[in-house]
Amino acid sequence: MLSERELERYDRQIMIFGEEGQEKLKNSKVAVVGVGGLGSPVAYYLAAAGIGTLLLIDEQTPELSNLNRQTLHWEEDIDRNPKPVSARWKLERFNSDIKIETFVGRLSEENIDEILKGVDVIVDCLDNFETRFLLDDYAQRNGVPLVHGAVEGTYGQVTTIVPGLTKSLHEIFPNMGKKGKKFPIIGATAGVVGSIQAMEVIKLLTGIGEPLLNKLLLVDLAYNTFDVVELR
Amino acid sequence: MRIKVRYFARYRSLVGKGEEELEVPEGITVKELIDILKERYPILKNEVFAEEDDLADVNVSRNGRYVRFDEVLKDGDVVALFPPVSGG
Repeated sequence: MLSERELERYDRQIMIFGEEGQEKLKNSKVAVVGVGGLGSPVAYYLAAAGIGTLLLIDEQTPELSNLNRQTLHWEEDIDRNPKPVSARWKLERFNSDIKIETFVGRLSEENIDEILKGVDVIVDCLDNFETRFLLDDYAQRNGVPLVHGAVEGTYGQVTTIVPGLTKSLHEIFPNMGKKGKKFPIIGATAGVVGSIQAMEVIKLLTGIGEPLLNKLLLVDLAYNTFDVVELR
Repeated sequence: MRIKVRYFARYRSLVGKGEEELEVPEGITVKELIDILKERYPILKNEVFAEEDDLADVNVSRNGRYVRFDEVLKDGDVVALFPPVSGG
């Protein structure tokens, strides 16, 4: 049941998907894997939307050069608070009606089952394909939807993986290497792509609209292009 | 035959245009088209496509649908090249 306070807080979006939709968000647990450029807007908007439980996963601590895009981390967090802890501090003060869980560390084949247990949707906000494929394997094994996003420069891509219904990340990107080199990025790009990922989660959980199933959205903000490629 | 090639993200910057129409030999494959483009734009060869596995770094769609490199192209096709990105 939604409280009076929640009904007021979420009034404008209940106009979109009803109290029933809001209940679904409240009863859901979403994992945000990577709390950086993409993870910041994803976690922020999912907290704003009233996702009942957010699980924030990252092993790093913010650096000064992260702050042009990782908007949940502030100067006071640099070299001090691990990203999930830094983000939790703000999000708990932003929305005290939701629960924020954290895991500070790296996902591995050994720990992923335990850490992601009970998660309804996984959001891929990572910066490397090695860990992405680990998430993909977990999603396929457990039938959990995975919202993929990636950015570089002014460009980004989003697709939503639903095991049994869509191609897996491995099938879509079979040739990705393990390179994790320093890439150009500006905050607004991550903001747009992360916001689209957050919307994918909301669509999956409430049933509104059409998630990017077997569709890859390609965005280039430098040239104002939004293209959807059919993956089937 | 004529096909339209669209360039996304850093390919667009490197080639200097978003799309162009090209006259290519009848019945070429996606891979053969990429070879033609590498000839046409050496910068793609040097900066984008990996040396060892020269197809590892490009995703291709044909008429809005994701395709493999052995697919044969037809007159009027629109082929889009987009790099996989991995940043977060």
